[in-house]
Amino acid sequence: MPIGQRVAFIGGGHNALIAAFYLAKGGFKPVILERREIVGGGAVTEEFHPGYRASTLAHTLGPLRPDVARDLKVEKFNCEILRPDPRVFAPALNGQSLLFYDDPGKTAGGIARLSAKDAAKYTEFAASLAKISNVFAQLSTITPPSIDKPSPEDLWNLLKTGRGVRGLGKHGIFDLLRWGPMAVADFVAEFFETELLRAAIAARGIFGTALGPWSAGSTAVLLLRAAADEHPVGSAAFSRGGLGTFTHALAEAAKQAGAEIRTNAEVLHIRIKNGAVAGVVLADGDEIAVEAIVSGVDPKRTFFQLMDPSQLDPTFALRVRNIRAKGTVAKVNLALNDLPIFPSLAGAVGADGFRQALSGRVHIGPEIDYLERAFDASKYGEFSDAPYLDLTIPTLLDPSLAPEGKHVLSAYVQFVPYKLKNGSWDARRDDLCETVIKTIAAYSPNFAERVEASQVITPQDLETTYGFTGGQIFHGELALDQLFTMRPVLDWARYKTPIHGLFLCGSGTHPGNGLTGASGANAAREIIRELR
Amino acid sequence: MTQHYDVIVIGGGHNGLVNAAYLAKAGKKVLVLERRHVLGGAAVTEEIIPGFLFSECSYVVSLLRPEIIRELDLPRHGLEILPLDGTFSPMSDGNHLWRMNDHAKSVREIRRHSRVDAEAYDEFSKMMTPMCRFVKPMLSMVPPDPTTLNPRDLKQLHFLMQRFRELSSDERYTLIQLMTMSSADFLDQWFETDVLKATMSASGIIGTFLGIRSPGTAYVLLHHYMGEIDGAFRSWGFSRGGTGAISNAIAAAAREAGVEIRTKAPVGKILVKEGRAAGVVLQSGEEITANVISSSVDPHLTFEKFLEPSELPADFLEGVRRYKFRGSSGKVNIALDALPEFKSLPGDGAHLRGAISISPSMEYMERAYDDAKYGHYSRRPYIDMVIPSLTDPSVAPPGKHVLSCFVQYAPYKLAEGTWDEQREAFGDNVIDTISEYAPNVKNIIVGRQILTPLDLEREFGLTQGNIFQGELSLEQLFFLRPVAGWAYYRTPVDNLYMCGSATHPGGGIMGANGRIASQVILKEWKKPAAQRQTKNGAQPSTEPVASPAARSAKEHN
Repeated sequence: MPIGQRVAFIGGGHNALIAAFYLAKGGFKPVILERREIVGGGAVTEEFHPGYRASTLAHTLGPLRPDVARDLKVEKFNCEILRPDPRVFAPALNGQSLLFYDDPGKTAGGIARLSAKDAAKYTEFAASLAKISNVFAQLSTITPPSIDKPSPEDLWNLLKTGRGVRGLGKHGIFDLLRWGPMAVADFVAEFFETELLRAAIAARGIFGTALGPWSAGSTAVLLLRAAADEHPVGSAAFSRGGLGTFTHALAEAAKQAGAEIRTNAEVLHIRIKNGAVAGVVLADGDEIAVEAIVSGVDPKRTFFQLMDPSQLDPTFALRVRNIRAKGTVAKVNLALNDLPIFPSLAGAVGADGFRQALSGRVHIGPEIDYLERAFDASKYGEFSDAPYLDLTIPTLLDPSLAPEGKHVLSAYVQFVPYKLKNGSWDARRDDLCETVIKTIAAYSPNFAERVEASQVITPQDLETTYGFTGGQIFHGELALDQLFTMRPVLDWARYKTPIHGLFLCGSGTHPGNGLTGASGANAAREIIRELR
Repeated sequence: MTQHYDVIVIGGGHNGLVNAAYLAKAGKKVLVLERRHVLGGAAVTEEIIPGFLFSECSYVVSLLRPEIIRELDLPRHGLEILPLDGTFSPMSDGNHLWRMNDHAKSVREIRRHSRVDAEAYDEFSKMMTPMCRFVKPMLSMVPPDPTTLNPRDLKQLHFLMQRFRELSSDERYTLIQLMTMSSADFLDQWFETDVLKATMSASGIIGTFLGIRSPGTAYVLLHHYMGEIDGAFRSWGFSRGGTGAISNAIAAAAREAGVEIRTKAPVGKILVKEGRAAGVVLQSGEEITANVISSSVDPHLTFEKFLEPSELPADFLEGVRRYKFRGSSGKVNIALDALPEFKSLPGDGAHLRGAISISPSMEYMERAYDDAKYGHYSRRPYIDMVIPSLTDPSVAPPGKHVLSCFVQYAPYKLAEGTWDEQREAFGDNVIDTISEYAPNVKNIIVGRQILTPLDLEREFGLTQGNIFQGELSLEQLFFLRPVAGWAYYRTPVDNLYMCGSATHPGGGIMGANGRIASQVILKEWKKPAAQRQTKNGAQPSTEPVASPAARSAKEHN
């Protein structure tokens, strides 16, 4: 494959932008074909009501994997990353609340109000999570090894990872082996007794998945997410101007490196001739002949909608069909005429600290069983009237998103079924919005009066408007059987596909854990090696 | 003068008896101490209602290792396993699904529901055989320690990796799925018929506090699929005379090998002198000494009731406290005047000779679990029923029958009230559920026995009523069972070993635990005390044996 060869990218999500940047740096000529009018995939800023803009879907950053952040230098492309501290405020219905600061000691001080034992355990928990997250972070940088013909690099990676695991010591290794398949409810119960603390930490094990805290394997999801951010409650960072400025900066970095980006350029079909890619057919009829295509959309969409699946060998097609991608997350963005008040905050920070305490994420899910009941409803095609919410009020640190004195509230809502048992989503969209407002109002008196307008994005909208098959925001369930060498499918977890010249770089590949760019960076490394 | 034995085995359940039998066959002087008036632990048959023999707890067998049946010559001691033919699943809409051991008949029955599933059923059975064959050798090996560089363990890990690499890509794919998925998600890939998936996924939740959608239940599905009768995977059977006949056959083999067995001899304490197990003190105060103590009861009883905390390292004790029991099932044994009459297939047909499974749909199974998650027994429980009297007339008077019902879910920890208060209501609820499918049941009941998780704990020594001496969940299997670092039948107390279902390979009437433990005990017997591996796989330090408390302190700094 000659250097300077053109490479077509399907979709302009953050992983595609990052992979395109590396390919451009590697001497290739990537052209990103984004269906919508803006790039960014799940990380975009849009005006959802006149004068009100929000991070439409994702509202916090991975954070970006350190090596990727160093290479792309997003701050050079006027993307200012805001890092609220406290990261998370978790209110309970009984007036208690917890604040999770960057500094574990400060957080433990707050926990002591609820349980001295848990306060002492918290710093130990934070340290042990950090140690294990290093091993997972190392794992997220490598390409899953081939089992039959491991390459020298595979063996070197296994050695490095093995040494990292051995560094945990005997107890650490056994803890890792025990925690992997464990329910996150059991995991947090090993450390803490306070329900609010358990639920706030366990949430990262079920966010974006079809798992409840009592589902085995949910701890593995938490440990995978911890690979990106070792803090017990994860990242709360976001870019000023919403996450759209973050992906805009990635696009600028890619363009500066030599990538071409086309929006409103929907790829309808991947043309394949005797087992190899030949080109892409665009919606406007245009066709681009290329010998290498990198798909940044999820595997099911890539193989079942953008090409003729009969050209795939049956085993591979069956395994892609078996990828579980049942979306359980909806997004509700609200325009507020005033800042909501949370009485339980007064006890923690007093009147002046109010705004700072609300500047990070707000976790609504005060007990483990609350999260489990929220999950139960979705199993039967319903959404619970007490959903688990992960919300932000970005206007506290970034007033530019709303008119003077007004605010925006961005809420992830879980668990919301992709398919309702009765009624269609269009008929019950407002029903969901009312449920979210009612749930927040239980913690924030007369919250409803503050709501001026709302945008509701159901799992089905995530599929039709934003391209997530099944509304699954990680391009495939994060679960024990769909990670590492099984992501997206066994034997094809090294970013290549059975079609010669067709590659994958989205979250459907390893490690696939949120806005970290890890999948895109790993994919680029393998694609460059393959194309050279 | 107190008597002295080479080995004292605590608990006369099937694993304790197997352990004793093998040790005696190797020439050791062995004493088995059983708390109850009858041997067998949960594999026991008693005449609760006059004239009716109830296999009170475990009611079918399939996982009893063939090598044990052969080596202990159990048929000669009265073991006879009668085939349990198929599974009959009545449905709420009056239809049913009746799978039989005869594969062709099952395929034809499934075709009645879905042509696609009929073909898939062939593929599924073909695929499960290599899966069972892969896991089978692991059932009779001491789990390797994944954290040491000790050659023995590395060799075994390498052996497992080699066997994995020999699998075809499809086999690897299915094996990884079986080890990580939920039984429902796994079966969703193969079949579309709801009642077929619900009934098959039920075998993935038996004895665990998990729902069919919880990851880890696909492994339990495989665990129960591995049952062997004369080499035919997945065929279950009754033992003539009830499940207790299995324990009696093993006991007879043990006695023939010289084992002394005492019932109504509850152990009070394990005697530990200078860090070594040296004997037991019965609740009666009687003291009996031995070179080795082999406990077939669960870790809670062994380490938290029979030993003092000071006699165990702190991290081991923490591991024991974390070990999850979470009993989730109950048993209702009913004496009947006549046969139940199922609306969907009336009459005394062959369908009553197999298992009758109340598992009409996946949603039914998942909702049964949802109730239990919040501390209530399932309003509409999963029930696995058998009528042994049809195949083995000796267990009931002529013309009368025994209906044995395994019921899930019945959580040990109730949200309100106690099991003593809710026992009758729980039993009534089970009978109400059955009568929705077989209305005549209510008026042919001669008598009933209801065993709640509390009864399983109090009467049968199963802590929190878990029928496998601890959940078969992924974080408590193989080299993690019962405690990480202590999955090799040894314990931190020298000369004290474990041989019950709380060790690898887990529960079910397998006997493998007792047999492997006897091999470990005998292997270490030959070595003089100094070279005996006191910790998991690591060679003992040469300095004098410090007391466990001192040793565990040393470990920590």
